[in-house]
Amino acid sequence: MSKLKIERVAVRNLRHLSRDYYSMCLGPWPKGCRSKPGQFVHVGLPESDIFFRRALSIAWVDPDRDESHFIFKVFGRGIRLLSRCNKGDEVELLGPLGVPFKMPKKNETCLLIGGGVGFPPLYFLAYRMIEKGRDPRTIEFFYGGRTSEEIVERTRLRKLGVKFRPVTDDGSFGEQGLVTEAVTRYLDSTPPRNPRIYSCGPAPMLRATDELARRYDIPGQVSLEAPMPCGFGVCLGCVVPLRAGGNARVCTEGPVFEIGEVLL
Amino acid sequence: MTPDLKVKLGSVELNNPIMTASGCCGYGEELAQAFPLSRLGALVTKSITREPRLGHPSPRTVEAASGMLNAIGLANVGLDCFISDKVPFLEKQDTTIVVNVAGSSIGDYVEVCARLNDVPRVDMIEVNISCPNVKEGGIEIGTDPTMTEKTIAEVRRVFSRPIIAKLTPNVTDISVVARAAEAGGADILSLINTLVGTSIDFNTWRPRLTNNRGGLSGPAIKPVALAAVDRVYQSTNLPLIGIGGIASAMDVVEFMLVGATAVQIGTSLFKDPQGPVNIVRDLKEYLKQRNLSSVTKLIGQVRKY
Ligand SMILES: Cc1cc2nc3c(=O)[nH]c(=O)nc-3n(C[C@H](O)[C@H](O)[C@H](O)COP(=O)(O)O)c2cc1C
Ligand code: FES
Repeated sequence: MSKLKIERVAVRNLRHLSRDYYSMCLGPWPKGCRSKPGQFVHVGLPESDIFFRRALSIAWVDPDRDESHFIFKVFGRGIRLLSRCNKGDEVELLGPLGVPFKMPKKNETCLLIGGGVGFPPLYFLAYRMIEKGRDPRTIEFFYGGRTSEEIVERTRLRKLGVKFRPVTDDGSFGEQGLVTEAVTRYLDSTPPRNPRIYSCGPAPMLRATDELARRYDIPGQVSLEAPMPCGFGVCLGCVVPLRAGGNARVCTEGPVFEIGEVLL
Repeated sequence: MTPDLKVKLGSVELNNPIMTASGCCGYGEELAQAFPLSRLGALVTKSITREPRLGHPSPRTVEAASGMLNAIGLANVGLDCFISDKVPFLEKQDTTIVVNVAGSSIGDYVEVCARLNDVPRVDMIEVNISCPNVKEGGIEIGTDPTMTEKTIAEVRRVFSRPIIAKLTPNVTDISVVARAAEAGGADILSLINTLVGTSIDFNTWRPRLTNNRGGLSGPAIKPVALAAVDRVYQSTNLPLIGIGGIASAMDVVEFMLVGATAVQIGTSLFKDPQGPVNIVRDLKEYLKQRNLSSVTKLIGQVRKY
Protein backbone atom coordinates (compact mmCIF):
# COMPACT_ATOMS: atom_id res chain seq x y z
CA MET A 1 0.00 0.00 0.00
CA SER A 2 2.71 2.46 0.83
CA LYS A 3 4.73 3.70 -2.06
CA LEU A 4 7.61 4.94 0.05
CA LYS A 5 8.98 1.83 1.63
CA ILE A 6 12.60 0.82 1.93
CA GLU A 7 13.04 -2.71 0.67
CA ARG A 8 15.94 -5.08 1.06
CA VAL A 9 16.88 -6.78 -2.16
CA ALA A 10 19.72 -9.18 -2.90
CA VAL A 11 22.54 -8.64 -5.37
CA ARG A 12 22.17 -11.44 -7.90
CA ASN A 13 25.14 -10.54 -9.96
CA LEU A 14 27.80 -7.86 -9.95
CA ARG A 15 30.29 -7.69 -12.76
CA HIS A 16 33.18 -5.40 -13.60
CA LEU A 17 32.76 -4.07 -17.15
CA SER A 18 35.80 -1.88 -17.72
CA ARG A 19 37.67 0.85 -15.92
CA ASP A 20 35.25 2.22 -13.29
CA TYR A 21 32.15 0.68 -14.84
CA TYR A 22 30.14 -2.13 -13.30
CA SER A 23 26.93 -3.92 -14.11
CA MET A 24 24.68 -5.10 -11.33
CA CYS A 25 21.57 -7.22 -11.18
CA LEU A 26 19.16 -7.06 -8.23
CA GLY A 27 16.33 -9.42 -7.49
CA PRO A 28 13.84 -10.73 -6.73
CA TRP A 29 12.21 -7.34 -6.78
CA PRO A 30 8.70 -7.31 -8.27
CA LYS A 31 8.30 -3.56 -7.87
CA GLY A 32 11.39 -2.91 -9.98
CA CYS A 33 9.88 -4.64 -12.98
CA ARG A 34 7.14 -2.04 -13.14
CA SER A 35 9.69 0.75 -13.62
CA LYS A 36 9.78 2.80 -16.79
CA PRO A 37 12.76 4.13 -18.77
CA GLY A 38 14.15 7.26 -17.14
CA GLN A 39 13.12 6.27 -13.64
CA PHE A 40 15.73 5.56 -10.99
CA VAL A 41 16.09 3.76 -7.72
CA HIS A 42 17.71 5.05 -4.58
CA VAL A 43 20.23 2.48 -3.40
CA GLY A 44 21.80 2.29 0.03
CA LEU A 45 24.11 -0.07 1.82
CA PRO A 46 22.75 -1.42 5.08
CA GLU A 47 25.22 -1.51 7.96
CA SER A 48 27.58 0.92 6.28
CA ASP A 49 28.70 4.33 7.45
CA ILE A 50 27.70 5.84 4.10
CA PHE A 51 24.89 8.14 5.04
CA PHE A 52 23.01 8.86 1.85
CA ARG A 53 21.56 6.45 -0.62
CA ARG A 54 22.64 6.95 -4.25
CA ALA A 55 20.40 7.36 -7.27
CA LEU A 56 20.97 4.75 -9.97
CA SER A 57 19.18 4.73 -13.30
CA ILE A 58 17.55 1.50 -14.26
CA ALA A 59 19.22 -0.02 -17.34
CA TRP A 60 16.65 -2.72 -18.04
CA VAL A 61 14.30 -5.07 -16.25
CA ASP A 62 13.57 -8.74 -16.71
CA PRO A 63 10.05 -9.42 -15.41
CA ASP A 64 10.32 -13.17 -16.06
CA ARG A 65 13.14 -13.39 -13.54
CA ASP A 66 12.00 -10.53 -11.31
CA GLU A 67 15.28 -8.77 -11.94
CA SER A 68 16.35 -5.17 -12.35
CA HIS A 69 19.65 -4.33 -14.02
CA PHE A 70 21.96 -1.38 -13.47
CA ILE A 71 25.16 -0.05 -14.93
CA PHE A 72 27.12 2.33 -12.79
CA LYS A 73 30.41 4.11 -12.63
CA VAL A 74 32.40 4.35 -9.43
CA PHE A 75 32.83 7.86 -8.11
CA GLY A 76 33.15 8.47 -4.41
CA ARG A 77 33.22 6.04 -1.54
CA GLY A 78 29.52 5.10 -1.53
CA ILE A 79 29.49 3.69 -5.03
CA ARG A 80 32.92 2.10 -4.52
CA LEU A 81 31.50 0.14 -1.59
CA LEU A 82 28.54 -0.86 -3.75
CA SER A 83 30.94 -2.11 -6.42
CA ARG A 84 32.51 -4.41 -3.81
CA CYS A 85 29.26 -6.14 -2.91
CA ASN A 86 29.16 -9.89 -3.26
CA LYS A 87 26.48 -12.05 -4.74
CA GLY A 88 23.79 -12.51 -2.10
CA ASP A 89 24.56 -9.26 -0.24
CA GLU A 90 21.52 -7.12 0.35
CA VAL A 91 21.08 -3.49 -0.58
CA GLU A 92 18.37 -1.08 0.54
CA LEU A 93 16.14 0.22 -2.20
CA LEU A 94 13.61 2.99 -2.46
CA GLY A 95 11.77 3.19 -5.73
CA PRO A 96 11.31 3.13 -8.60
CA LEU A 97 11.25 6.92 -8.38
CA GLY A 98 10.93 9.92 -10.66
CA VAL A 99 9.23 10.86 -13.89
CA PRO A 100 9.99 8.58 -16.89
CA PHE A 101 10.72 9.59 -20.49
CA LYS A 102 7.73 10.37 -22.69
CA MET A 103 7.44 7.90 -25.53
CA PRO A 104 7.93 9.36 -29.04
CA LYS A 105 5.28 9.68 -31.72
CA LYS A 106 5.20 6.96 -34.36
CA ASN A 107 6.66 9.08 -37.16
CA GLU A 108 9.57 10.48 -35.15
CA THR A 109 13.25 9.62 -35.50
CA CYS A 110 14.76 9.16 -32.04
CA LEU A 111 18.19 10.61 -31.38
CA LEU A 112 19.48 9.11 -28.17
CA ILE A 113 22.51 11.06 -26.98
CA GLY A 114 24.38 9.52 -24.09
CA GLY A 115 27.72 10.14 -22.46
CA GLY A 116 29.51 7.85 -20.04
CA VAL A 117 27.22 6.88 -17.22
CA GLY A 118 24.26 8.42 -19.06
CA PHE A 119 24.00 5.19 -21.01
CA PRO A 120 21.65 3.07 -18.82
CA PRO A 121 18.39 5.09 -19.04
CA LEU A 122 18.84 5.51 -22.79
CA TYR A 123 19.48 1.82 -23.24
CA PHE A 124 16.31 1.08 -21.26
CA LEU A 125 14.40 3.57 -23.42
CA ALA A 126 15.61 2.00 -26.68
CA TYR A 127 14.90 -1.48 -25.34
CA ARG A 128 11.37 -0.56 -24.29
CA MET A 129 10.56 1.30 -27.53
CA ILE A 130 11.62 -1.73 -29.57
CA GLU A 131 9.69 -4.04 -27.28
CA LYS A 132 6.66 -1.89 -28.01
CA GLY A 133 7.12 -2.36 -31.73
CA ARG A 134 9.31 0.48 -32.91
CA ASP A 135 11.62 -0.21 -35.85
CA PRO A 136 15.14 -0.19 -34.31
CA ARG A 137 16.47 1.60 -37.38
CA THR A 138 14.53 4.72 -36.40
CA ILE A 139 16.72 4.95 -33.30
CA GLU A 140 20.06 6.74 -33.71
CA PHE A 141 22.06 5.85 -30.60
CA PHE A 142 24.93 8.33 -30.10
CA TYR A 143 27.11 7.11 -27.30
CA GLY A 144 30.13 9.10 -26.20
CA GLY A 145 33.01 8.42 -23.86
CA ARG A 146 36.52 9.65 -23.30
CA THR A 147 38.04 6.41 -24.53
CA SER A 148 36.92 3.10 -25.97
CA GLU A 149 36.76 1.63 -22.46
CA GLU A 150 33.95 3.98 -21.54
CA ILE A 151 31.67 2.60 -24.23
CA VAL A 152 30.34 -0.34 -22.28
CA GLU A 153 27.79 -3.04 -23.13
CA ARG A 154 28.28 -2.65 -26.90
CA THR A 155 27.22 -6.17 -27.71
CA ARG A 156 23.99 -5.72 -25.84
CA LEU A 157 23.34 -2.46 -27.64
CA ARG A 158 24.18 -3.90 -31.07
CA LYS A 159 21.75 -6.74 -30.42
CA LEU A 160 18.93 -4.23 -30.22
CA GLY A 161 19.55 -3.39 -33.85
CA VAL A 162 19.62 0.36 -33.30
CA LYS A 163 21.92 2.60 -35.35
CA PHE A 164 24.85 2.56 -32.96
CA ARG A 165 27.08 5.63 -33.29
CA PRO A 166 29.96 5.47 -30.84
CA VAL A 167 32.07 8.59 -30.33
CA THR A 168 35.25 8.92 -28.28
CA ASP A 169 37.34 11.93 -27.31
CA ASP A 170 40.53 10.19 -28.40
CA GLY A 171 39.10 8.36 -31.41
CA SER A 172 39.94 4.96 -29.92
CA PHE A 173 36.45 3.74 -30.84
CA GLY A 174 33.94 5.16 -33.32
CA GLU A 175 34.05 8.76 -34.41
CA GLN A 176 36.53 11.10 -32.80
CA GLY A 177 35.41 14.16 -30.86
CA LEU A 178 32.55 15.09 -28.61
CA VAL A 179 29.27 13.27 -28.92
CA THR A 180 27.41 16.52 -29.60
CA GLU A 181 29.84 17.31 -32.45
CA ALA A 182 28.97 13.97 -33.98
CA VAL A 183 25.25 14.73 -33.62
CA THR A 184 25.75 18.11 -35.31
CA ARG A 185 27.59 16.50 -38.24
CA TYR A 186 24.80 13.97 -38.58
CA LEU A 187 22.07 16.61 -38.50
CA ASP A 188 23.89 18.67 -41.15
CA SER A 189 24.64 15.76 -43.48
CA THR A 190 21.53 13.60 -43.21
CA PRO A 191 18.71 15.65 -41.67
CA PRO A 192 16.33 13.07 -40.17
CA ARG A 193 12.54 13.16 -40.43
CA ASN A 194 10.82 14.53 -37.31
CA PRO A 195 13.76 14.17 -34.96
CA ARG A 196 13.26 13.88 -31.19
CA ILE A 197 16.15 13.97 -28.72
CA TYR A 198 16.61 11.97 -25.53
CA SER A 199 19.79 12.69 -23.62
CA CYS A 200 21.58 11.74 -20.44
CA GLY A 201 25.17 12.26 -19.38
CA PRO A 202 27.62 14.60 -17.73
CA ALA A 203 26.61 18.26 -17.23
CA PRO A 204 28.79 19.78 -20.03
CA MET A 205 27.37 17.27 -22.51
CA LEU A 206 23.80 18.00 -21.45
CA ARG A 207 24.43 21.71 -21.78
CA ALA A 208 25.77 21.20 -25.31
CA THR A 209 22.82 18.94 -26.17
CA ASP A 210 20.31 21.42 -24.84
CA GLU A 211 21.93 24.19 -26.88
CA LEU A 212 22.06 22.07 -30.01
CA ALA A 213 18.44 20.99 -29.67
CA ARG A 214 17.30 24.56 -29.33
CA ARG A 215 19.48 25.72 -32.25
CA TYR A 216 18.01 23.04 -34.55
CA ASP A 217 14.60 23.40 -32.94
CA ILE A 218 14.36 19.73 -32.03
CA PRO A 219 12.04 18.73 -29.20
CA GLY A 220 13.03 16.20 -26.60
CA GLN A 221 14.02 15.46 -23.08
CA VAL A 222 17.10 15.31 -20.90
CA SER A 223 17.63 13.23 -17.80
CA LEU A 224 19.59 14.92 -14.99
CA GLU A 225 21.69 13.79 -12.08
CA ALA A 226 21.86 15.46 -8.69
CA PRO A 227 22.95 14.56 -5.21
CA MET A 228 19.82 13.30 -3.48
CA PRO A 229 19.63 13.09 0.29
CA CYS A 230 16.05 11.82 0.42
CA GLY A 231 14.98 10.88 -3.13
CA PHE A 232 11.28 11.48 -2.46
CA GLY A 233 10.87 15.22 -2.48
CA VAL A 234 11.11 16.39 1.12
CA CYS A 235 14.62 17.75 1.64
CA LEU A 236 14.83 20.15 -1.32
CA GLY A 237 18.49 19.25 -1.67
CA CYS A 238 18.35 18.23 -5.33
CA VAL A 239 16.85 21.30 -7.00
CA VAL A 240 17.79 22.78 -10.38
CA PRO A 241 16.79 26.23 -11.61
CA LEU A 242 14.12 26.45 -14.31
CA ARG A 243 14.32 28.78 -17.29
CA ALA A 244 10.82 30.07 -16.53
CA GLY A 245 11.86 30.89 -12.96
CA GLY A 246 11.67 28.85 -9.80
CA ASN A 247 13.27 25.54 -8.99
CA ALA A 248 12.38 21.93 -9.63
CA ARG A 249 13.31 18.87 -7.62
CA VAL A 250 15.30 16.42 -9.74
CA CYS A 251 14.02 13.49 -7.65
CA THR A 252 10.30 14.16 -8.07
CA GLU A 253 9.66 16.65 -10.89
CA GLY A 254 12.59 14.98 -12.73
CA PRO A 255 14.96 13.38 -13.37
CA VAL A 256 13.55 13.76 -16.90
CA PHE A 257 12.88 17.32 -18.07
CA GLU A 258 11.89 18.84 -21.40
CA ILE A 259 14.70 20.31 -23.48
CA GLY A 260 15.09 23.97 -22.54
CA GLU A 261 13.08 23.66 -19.35
CA VAL A 262 16.08 23.64 -17.00
CA LEU A 263 18.89 26.19 -16.85
CA LEU A 264 21.74 23.75 -17.29
CA MET B 1 -1.67 -3.49 29.34
CA THR B 2 -0.61 -1.30 26.48
CA PRO B 3 1.49 1.62 27.62
CA ASP B 4 0.05 5.10 27.15
CA LEU B 5 2.06 7.11 24.62
CA LYS B 6 0.16 10.37 24.99
CA VAL B 7 2.11 13.46 25.99
CA LYS B 8 1.12 17.04 26.57
CA LEU B 9 2.79 20.06 25.03
CA GLY B 10 1.25 23.09 26.69
CA SER B 11 -2.48 22.79 26.14
CA VAL B 12 -2.15 20.35 23.25
CA GLU B 13 -2.18 16.61 23.73
CA LEU B 14 -0.20 14.51 21.24
CA ASN B 15 -1.05 10.88 20.42
CA ASN B 16 2.58 10.03 20.95
CA PRO B 17 5.84 11.92 21.42
CA ILE B 18 7.06 11.40 17.84
CA MET B 19 6.99 14.50 15.65
CA THR B 20 8.70 15.23 12.35
CA ALA B 21 11.30 18.02 12.17
CA SER B 22 10.89 21.11 10.05
CA GLY B 23 12.50 20.95 6.62
CA CYS B 24 12.57 17.16 6.61
CA CYS B 25 8.97 16.37 5.61
CA GLY B 26 7.94 19.27 3.35
CA TYR B 27 4.27 20.03 3.97
CA GLY B 28 3.38 16.41 4.63
CA GLU B 29 2.17 15.32 1.18
CA GLU B 30 5.13 13.10 0.29
CA LEU B 31 5.40 11.55 3.74
CA ALA B 32 1.73 10.55 3.55
CA GLN B 33 2.81 8.08 0.85
CA ALA B 34 4.97 6.34 3.44
CA PHE B 35 2.38 6.02 6.22
CA PRO B 36 -0.88 7.62 7.41
CA LEU B 37 0.12 10.84 9.14
CA SER B 38 -2.26 10.02 11.99
CA ARG B 39 0.52 7.73 13.23
CA LEU B 40 2.57 10.79 14.16
CA GLY B 41 2.35 12.74 17.37
CA ALA B 42 2.61 15.87 15.24
CA LEU B 43 3.78 17.04 11.86
CA VAL B 44 5.99 20.13 11.64
CA THR B 45 6.05 21.90 8.28
CA LYS B 46 8.99 23.38 6.43
CA SER B 47 9.69 26.96 7.60
CA ILE B 48 7.14 29.36 6.13
CA THR B 49 8.14 32.94 5.32
CA ARG B 50 6.04 35.93 4.30
CA GLU B 51 7.22 35.76 0.67
CA PRO B 52 8.13 32.63 -1.28
CA ARG B 53 11.84 31.81 -1.23
CA LEU B 54 13.92 29.81 -3.70
CA GLY B 55 16.74 29.30 -1.23
CA HIS B 56 20.41 28.99 -2.13
CA PRO B 57 21.64 27.57 -5.45
CA SER B 58 22.67 23.90 -5.59
CA PRO B 59 24.75 22.24 -4.29
CA ARG B 60 23.04 22.92 -1.03
CA THR B 61 23.42 19.59 0.72
CA VAL B 62 26.47 17.41 1.22
CA GLU B 63 27.10 14.26 3.16
CA ALA B 64 29.20 14.40 6.34
CA ALA B 65 30.42 11.74 8.75
CA SER B 66 27.25 10.28 10.32
CA GLY B 67 25.09 13.03 8.95
CA MET B 68 24.86 15.83 6.46
CA LEU B 69 25.30 19.52 5.93
CA ASN B 70 22.51 21.59 4.43
CA ALA B 71 22.24 25.16 3.30
CA ILE B 72 18.80 25.03 1.74
CA GLY B 73 18.26 28.68 2.68
CA LEU B 74 14.64 28.42 3.83
CA ALA B 75 13.24 27.58 0.39
CA ASN B 76 9.46 27.54 0.77
CA VAL B 77 6.25 28.37 -1.06
CA GLY B 78 5.53 31.49 1.00
CA LEU B 79 2.61 32.26 3.29
CA ASP B 80 -0.13 32.84 0.68
CA CYS B 81 0.57 29.68 -1.25
CA PHE B 82 0.94 27.74 1.97
CA ILE B 83 -2.52 28.77 3.08
CA SER B 84 -4.19 28.28 -0.30
CA ASP B 85 -2.37 25.14 -1.53
CA LYS B 86 -0.94 23.28 1.45
CA VAL B 87 -3.40 23.85 4.31
CA PRO B 88 -6.28 22.04 2.52
CA PHE B 89 -4.22 18.84 2.56
CA LEU B 90 -3.17 19.35 6.17
CA GLU B 91 -6.79 19.98 7.16
CA LYS B 92 -7.61 16.40 6.22
CA GLN B 93 -4.84 14.89 8.33
CA ASP B 94 -5.72 13.43 11.68
CA THR B 95 -2.65 14.63 13.54
CA THR B 96 -1.43 17.73 15.34
CA ILE B 97 -0.20 20.33 12.86
CA VAL B 98 2.67 22.60 13.76
CA VAL B 99 3.66 25.32 11.31
CA ASN B 100 7.27 26.42 11.50
CA VAL B 101 7.70 30.15 10.87
CA ALA B 102 10.80 32.09 9.81
CA GLY B 103 11.41 35.72 8.92
CA SER B 104 14.06 38.31 8.30
CA SER B 105 12.64 40.83 10.75
CA ILE B 106 10.37 40.77 13.78
CA GLY B 107 7.69 42.34 11.59
CA ASP B 108 7.85 39.33 9.25
CA TYR B 109 7.33 36.86 12.09
CA VAL B 110 4.42 38.87 13.44
CA GLU B 111 2.71 39.16 10.07
CA VAL B 112 2.99 35.45 9.32
CA CYS B 113 1.89 34.37 12.80
CA ALA B 114 -1.08 36.77 12.79
CA ARG B 115 -2.31 35.25 9.53
CA LEU B 116 -1.77 31.72 10.83
CA ASN B 117 -3.77 32.58 13.93
CA ASP B 118 -6.80 32.79 11.62
CA VAL B 119 -6.18 29.30 10.23
CA PRO B 120 -7.83 27.04 12.82
CA ARG B 121 -6.10 23.88 11.63
CA VAL B 122 -2.74 25.30 12.70
CA ASP B 123 -2.56 23.82 16.18
CA MET B 124 0.75 25.38 17.13
CA ILE B 125 3.53 27.39 15.63
CA GLU B 126 7.22 26.77 15.95
CA VAL B 127 9.22 29.96 15.70
CA ASN B 128 12.48 29.28 13.89
CA ILE B 129 14.91 31.76 15.37
CA SER B 130 17.78 29.42 14.74
CA CYS B 131 18.35 28.91 11.00
CA PRO B 132 22.10 29.14 10.37
CA ASN B 133 21.70 29.52 6.60
CA VAL B 134 20.26 32.98 6.09
CA LYS B 135 21.90 36.32 6.75
CA GLU B 136 19.18 38.22 8.52
CA GLY B 137 16.60 36.89 10.95
CA GLY B 138 16.92 33.29 12.05
CA ILE B 139 20.10 32.72 13.94
CA GLU B 140 20.75 36.44 14.43
CA ILE B 141 17.72 36.48 16.67
CA GLY B 142 18.32 33.12 18.28
CA THR B 143 21.86 33.92 19.42
CA ASP B 144 20.75 37.15 21.10
CA PRO B 145 18.67 36.76 24.29
CA THR B 146 17.17 40.25 24.05
CA MET B 147 16.06 39.76 20.44
CA THR B 148 14.77 36.30 21.28
CA GLU B 149 12.59 37.58 24.08
CA LYS B 150 11.34 40.46 21.96
CA THR B 151 10.50 38.29 18.96
CA ILE B 152 8.62 35.72 21.00
CA ALA B 153 6.79 38.45 22.94
CA GLU B 154 5.64 40.12 19.70
CA VAL B 155 4.50 36.81 18.23
CA ARG B 156 2.74 36.00 21.51
CA ARG B 157 0.54 39.05 21.02
CA VAL B 158 -0.83 37.85 17.70
CA PHE B 159 -0.94 34.06 18.09
CA SER B 160 -3.32 32.65 20.67
CA ARG B 161 -2.47 28.94 20.56
CA PRO B 162 0.75 27.31 21.83
CA ILE B 163 4.07 28.73 20.64
CA ILE B 164 7.22 26.68 20.35
CA ALA B 165 10.54 28.54 20.23
CA LYS B 166 13.17 26.59 18.29
CA LEU B 167 16.64 27.13 19.69
CA THR B 168 20.05 27.11 18.11
CA PRO B 169 23.01 25.29 19.64
CA ASN B 170 25.40 27.85 18.12
CA VAL B 171 25.73 29.80 21.38
CA THR B 172 27.95 29.59 24.43
CA ASP B 173 25.13 28.80 26.84
CA ILE B 174 21.84 27.65 25.37
CA SER B 175 20.02 28.03 28.71
CA VAL B 176 20.36 31.82 28.51
CA VAL B 177 18.40 31.97 25.26
CA ALA B 178 15.98 29.34 26.58
CA ARG B 179 15.12 31.54 29.55
CA ALA B 180 14.77 34.54 27.24
CA ALA B 181 12.24 32.64 25.12
CA GLU B 182 10.37 31.63 28.27
CA ALA B 183 10.33 35.24 29.43
CA GLY B 184 8.95 36.27 26.03
CA GLY B 185 6.02 33.93 26.52
CA ALA B 186 6.95 30.72 24.70
CA ASP B 187 4.92 27.72 25.82
CA ILE B 188 7.34 25.06 24.64
CA LEU B 189 10.98 24.95 23.55
CA SER B 190 12.37 22.77 20.78
CA LEU B 191 16.08 22.10 20.41
CA ILE B 192 18.36 21.84 18.62
CA ASN B 193 18.50 23.31 15.14
CA THR B 194 21.60 22.46 13.10
CA LEU B 195 25.20 23.22 14.10
CA VAL B 196 27.16 25.53 11.82
CA GLY B 197 29.65 23.57 9.74
CA THR B 198 31.20 23.31 6.31
CA SER B 199 33.05 21.03 3.93
CA ILE B 200 35.72 21.85 1.35
CA ASP B 201 36.53 20.05 -1.90
CA PHE B 202 40.27 19.40 -1.72
CA ASN B 203 40.51 19.12 -5.52
CA THR B 204 38.81 22.36 -6.51
CA TRP B 205 39.52 24.21 -3.24
CA ARG B 206 35.89 25.25 -3.19
CA PRO B 207 33.34 24.81 -0.43
CA ARG B 208 30.97 21.95 -1.20
CA LEU B 209 28.01 24.28 -0.53
CA THR B 210 27.38 27.41 -2.58
CA ASN B 211 26.48 29.16 0.67
CA ASN B 212 30.07 28.38 1.79
CA ARG B 213 28.73 26.87 5.01
CA GLY B 214 25.70 25.08 6.26
CA GLY B 215 24.10 23.30 9.18
CA LEU B 216 25.15 19.87 10.42
CA SER B 217 22.41 17.38 11.26
CA GLY B 218 21.95 13.65 11.76
CA PRO B 219 23.39 11.14 14.25
CA ALA B 220 26.62 13.20 14.37
CA ILE B 221 24.88 15.87 16.46
CA LYS B 222 22.92 13.65 18.84
CA PRO B 223 25.35 13.94 21.78
CA VAL B 224 25.36 17.73 21.44
CA ALA B 225 21.57 17.81 21.30
CA LEU B 226 21.20 15.56 24.34
CA ALA B 227 23.51 17.73 26.39
CA ALA B 228 21.57 20.82 25.27
CA VAL B 229 18.23 19.31 26.32
CA ASP B 230 19.74 18.26 29.63
CA ARG B 231 21.06 21.77 30.23
CA VAL B 232 17.79 23.52 29.32
CA TYR B 233 15.72 21.06 31.38
CA GLN B 234 17.66 22.20 34.44
CA SER B 235 17.03 25.86 33.76
CA THR B 236 13.42 26.33 32.59
CA ASN B 237 10.02 24.93 33.46
CA LEU B 238 8.75 24.64 29.91
CA PRO B 239 8.08 21.34 28.17
CA LEU B 240 10.90 20.50 25.77
CA ILE B 241 11.04 18.89 22.36
CA GLY B 242 14.34 17.13 21.72
CA ILE B 243 15.78 17.24 18.19
CA GLY B 244 19.06 16.02 16.76
CA GLY B 245 20.07 12.77 15.17
CA ILE B 246 17.13 10.71 16.40
CA ALA B 247 16.82 7.49 14.43
CA SER B 248 15.46 4.90 16.84
CA ALA B 249 13.20 4.39 19.84
CA MET B 250 16.29 4.09 22.03
CA ASP B 251 17.35 7.56 20.89
CA VAL B 252 13.89 8.81 21.91
CA VAL B 253 14.27 7.22 25.34
CA GLU B 254 17.61 8.99 25.82
CA PHE B 255 16.09 12.36 24.97
CA MET B 256 13.12 11.83 27.26
CA LEU B 257 15.33 10.75 30.14
CA VAL B 258 17.20 14.05 30.02
CA GLY B 259 13.95 15.98 29.98
CA ALA B 260 12.26 15.97 26.57
CA THR B 261 8.48 15.58 26.53
CA ALA B 262 8.46 14.91 22.79
CA VAL B 263 11.00 14.59 20.00
CA GLN B 264 11.35 15.48 16.34
CA ILE B 265 12.79 13.24 13.66
CA GLY B 266 14.68 15.08 10.93
CA THR B 267 17.52 13.76 8.83
CA SER B 268 16.80 10.12 9.60
CA LEU B 269 13.50 10.46 7.72
CA PHE B 270 15.61 10.65 4.57
CA LYS B 271 17.12 7.27 5.40
CA ASP B 272 13.80 5.69 6.20
CA PRO B 273 10.54 7.49 5.44
CA GLN B 274 8.69 4.94 7.57
CA GLY B 275 11.06 5.46 10.51
CA PRO B 276 8.51 7.27 12.73
CA VAL B 277 6.09 4.33 12.58
CA ASN B 278 8.81 1.88 13.58
CA ILE B 279 9.97 4.17 16.35
CA VAL B 280 6.46 4.38 17.81
CA ARG B 281 6.18 0.58 17.69
CA ASP B 282 9.58 0.04 19.32
CA LEU B 283 8.95 2.68 21.95
CA LYS B 284 5.76 0.93 22.98
CA GLU B 285 7.64 -2.35 23.20
CA TYR B 286 10.36 -0.76 25.33
CA LEU B 287 7.80 0.62 27.78
CA LYS B 288 6.09 -2.76 27.98
CA GLN B 289 9.32 -4.52 28.77
CA ARG B 290 10.06 -1.98 31.47
CA ASN B 291 6.56 -2.23 32.89
CA LEU B 292 5.95 1.47 32.41
CA SER B 293 2.32 2.49 32.09
CA SER B 294 3.04 5.81 30.42
CA VAL B 295 5.81 7.26 28.29
CA THR B 296 5.72 10.35 30.49
CA LYS B 297 7.35 8.25 33.21
CA LEU B 298 10.61 8.65 31.32
CA ILE B 299 10.71 12.43 31.29
CA GLY B 300 13.70 13.79 33.20
CA GLN B 301 14.37 10.48 34.91
CA VAL B 302 18.04 10.15 33.99
CA ARG B 303 19.95 8.74 36.94
CA LYS B 304 22.92 11.03 37.09
CA TYR B 305 26.19 10.42 38.86
C1 LIG C 1 17.53 19.52 4.70
C2 LIG C 1 17.14 20.15 6.00
C3 LIG C 1 16.30 21.27 5.99
C4 LIG C 1 15.93 21.88 7.18
N1 LIG C 1 15.08 22.95 7.15
C5 LIG C 1 14.68 23.52 8.31
C6 LIG C 1 13.74 24.58 8.29
O1 LIG C 1 13.24 25.02 7.25
N2 LIG C 1 13.38 25.13 9.49
C7 LIG C 1 13.87 24.68 10.69
O2 LIG C 1 13.49 25.20 11.73
N3 LIG C 1 14.76 23.65 10.73
C8 LIG C 1 15.16 23.07 9.57
N4 LIG C 1 16.05 22.02 9.61
C9 LIG C 1 16.59 21.57 10.91
C10 LIG C 1 15.83 20.35 11.45
O3 LIG C 1 14.49 20.65 11.67
C11 LIG C 1 16.48 19.84 12.74
O4 LIG C 1 16.42 20.84 13.73
C12 LIG C 1 17.92 19.44 12.57
O5 LIG C 1 18.15 18.88 11.30
C13 LIG C 1 18.41 18.46 13.62
O6 LIG C 1 17.64 17.27 13.64
P1 LIG C 1 18.08 15.92 12.85
O7 LIG C 1 19.47 15.60 13.25
O8 LIG C 1 17.08 14.88 13.28
O9 LIG C 1 17.97 16.26 11.41
C14 LIG C 1 16.43 21.40 8.43
C15 LIG C 1 17.27 20.27 8.42
C16 LIG C 1 17.63 19.65 7.24
C17 LIG C 1 18.53 18.46 7.28
S1 FES D 1 16.46 14.42 -2.95
FE1 FES D 1 15.33 15.31 -1.35
S2 FES D 1 13.98 16.61 -2.45
FE2 FES D 1 15.01 15.58 -4.01
